Amino acid sequence: MTNLRRSALLFLAIGLILYGAVYFGSERLVYRTGDSNPFYKIATTEDRAFDWVILGASHAMPLDFADFNAQMERETGLRILNLATPGTGPLYNRFVLERFFRRHRTRRVLYVLDSFAFYSTRWNEDRFADAKLLRRTPFDPALAWQLARYSLNDGVRATAVLDYIFGFSKINNRERFESDIWEGETTFDRVARLSAAADAKRIDYLYPDAVPDPAVFSRYLAVLETLIALAGQENAQVVAIKTPVPAQFYGKLPNEDAFNDAISDLLATENVAFHEFSREMDEPGFYFDTDHLNRAGLTAFFSRYLKAVLVGN
Amino acid sequence: MLFNSLGFFLFLPLVLAVRAALPPRRRWAWLLIASYGFYASFEPSGALYLAAVTLVIYGCGWGMERSPHRQVRVALLSAGLVIVLGLLVTFKFYDFVAGEIERAGAALLAADTTFRLPRLGVAAPVGFSFYAFSAASYLIDVYLGRLSAARHGGHVALYTAFFPKILAGPIERATTFLPQLGEGLRAHPEQIIAGAQLIGWGLFKKVVIADNLAPLVDRTFSIAAYATPIDLLVAVYFFAFQIYCDFSGYTDIAIGVSLLFGIKLMENFRRPYLARSTAEFWADRWHISLAHWFRDYLYFPLGGSRAGALRRYANLMTVFVISGLWHAGLGYGVGWTFMVWGALNGFYQWVRLATAPLRRWFTVRLPRLSASTLVYVLQVLVTFHLIAIAWIFFRAASVGDGVLILQKIAGSLAQLPSLLPRYPFTADHYLGFGLIAFLIFVEVLDEHRSIWKRLAAAPVVLRWSVYYAAIFAVLILGRWQMREFIYMQF
Repeated sequence: MTNLRRSALLFLAIGLILYGAVYFGSERLVYRTGDSNPFYKIATTEDRAFDWVILGASHAMPLDFADFNAQMERETGLRILNLATPGTGPLYNRFVLERFFRRHRTRRVLYVLDSFAFYSTRWNEDRFADAKLLRRTPFDPALAWQLARYSLNDGVRATAVLDYIFGFSKINNRERFESDIWEGETTFDRVARLSAAADAKRIDYLYPDAVPDPAVFSRYLAVLETLIALAGQENAQVVAIKTPVPAQFYGKLPNEDAFNDAISDLLATENVAFHEFSREMDEPGFYFDTDHLNRAGLTAFFSRYLKAVLVGN
Repeated sequence: MLFNSLGFFLFLPLVLAVRAALPPRRRWAWLLIASYGFYASFEPSGALYLAAVTLVIYGCGWGMERSPHRQVRVALLSAGLVIVLGLLVTFKFYDFVAGEIERAGAALLAADTTFRLPRLGVAAPVGFSFYAFSAASYLIDVYLGRLSAARHGGHVALYTAFFPKILAGPIERATTFLPQLGEGLRAHPEQIIAGAQLIGWGLFKKVVIADNLAPLVDRTFSIAAYATPIDLLVAVYFFAFQIYCDFSGYTDIAIGVSLLFGIKLMENFRRPYLARSTAEFWADRWHISLAHWFRDYLYFPLGGSRAGALRRYANLMTVFVISGLWHAGLGYGVGWTFMVWGALNGFYQWVRLATAPLRRWFTVRLPRLSASTLVYVLQVLVTFHLIAIAWIFFRAASVGDGVLILQKIAGSLAQLPSLLPRYPFTADHYLGFGLIAFLIFVEVLDEHRSIWKRLAAAPVVLRWSVYYAAIFAVLILGRWQMREFIYMQF
């Protein structure tokens, strides 16, 4: 072996040791700053059994903002774990639920539906590779294996698996010392001034494909079916809801009626209860931005509708 | 497949490994396949343009070599240049010029008369500005007899397509590139070490410095009318270092990767912000391969500095305005800003020429002062600020924006001492200033003695500590969100 090769190997070995140390430090920071990441919640919850697990995208997240989850638990006497993740569709939510069922149980799953999450790979396959999620997901070999399976079977990018295993997004996390709080939570008590321009911008963001591709929609409906089946295998009953949004925002959602029809048909076939609350609360004071309930809105929503769903089922 | 992407870090070892397994005389073919694969990863159709340009220069070069008739050789040279440079001009300016003609027409014609010119609507292949100039230099060198037309079509193809340099140079000459292909594409241990060092340093400059400065620059330049003078001042300084680190970072990686294949590309940057004059900046320190291209293929043929004083002034301005036009489209669209940028740099050269007697007088009368560190530092600072002012027009969305930025900064210079303490500097600002200070520190060291020689002479513990610090800075502080290199965007 030449001197150059020996030196290169030694350099590499020391580099790997240093990388391991940095990785270890970054992983510790994930636990120290963790908050809203679903896998962080699963890894750190002390309870094994729950009455409800909440899944969905950002519209489900306010249910866990500040002390609202604890408030719901107090008022219903139920144990609730919110595993919703912003901008995620059924594929990511099924991934989360699979992980949850490895060591935990729940009697029911509340799936907060959003049509945008069924129309684009951006909110499903692509979302797995988002550094913002990966950098807050604690390392677990079983989860790495599960992610690898999703890469093989469900089209998740291999880079997501590599990133997760090598912890690059955690090491490279620019917000490594900041708490993992979704930006919406910092404005939870705010009342938004509704704006048509802001609505249009938000709709463009949520629905990148102006015309939803029927094949893509069908695929994610099928994924939702497998999620329901997964819950069924674990003796958990799924309940689906749509949370309220301002009427002017709802009016701009593309193909929402068609989405409601399709999802209602599927859920009826699967024997899943579906509660459509989208148009139930139009008061502008109930939202902290274009379409998310603020504390007052959520309190009203809970007392008027959600509590009955949680307790009544 | 950008240099700062995971894909590239998987691609490069694969190409190197296969190269090592092949006999030396077959390696060029593998490198050519890899280069086309790399280039097609951006846009498959781009490979067709590349192949077409290669065929044109190979055919014209072959014809020029064999023809004893001057007229035929001139015709072949002209045909080759018109095709290659014509495509470049068309891609760059057709849609822009069509838009300007429509605007002018709308202003001149009656209000109810409108006309539309057809648009190309075709995005130019990435890196076209660079390989078109390489191709043109091949044709001219063959015509002038500086180079024998390559018999090996594969070598010519690799010259235009070589993946480390295709996106943003250096604009390598065939006279230095082609002879290296006959050496079996073998890298010596020193080349491997130097290559790895350059790749690491280039990545540091790109993902740690340039990409950490970019968000602040982008934000401020996008709202120039609403930004405060200090916002603008910071953005102007940051942009000067962003574009330097972005482009020279790319070049360092390109040169470093080439060394891993045993190919030495030309130096493209030599600590440009330590230049003592704008002439030195452009001639010897910034984008050297382009500066030399313009010198050899435009400035000298125009007569250079030997065709009388007036022609010299005119030649300088011509070169800088055309250089400005060449830069149009590099990251910030095509517009009049690049013309202004080029003309402003040409104007600097005029001023320098006009004041040459004064500077000579100063050097003769006050030799000790003119050679002092104080004057050196002043010259460097003045040169940097002149260049930074010109960069405003390079980066601004419009000439109006550029003028507005200058006016706002100039109008508040007197108030700066009182405004600065009250400015809400953020952690990102401090990081940016820290990185710039670090870069200047390294470059000043390098100016006196090569940083690589210093490292080679240092104890191994210190040397490796520097390497690890750089690598982990890239991993921990780098921005890896696939931000494109500014200069590769046309």
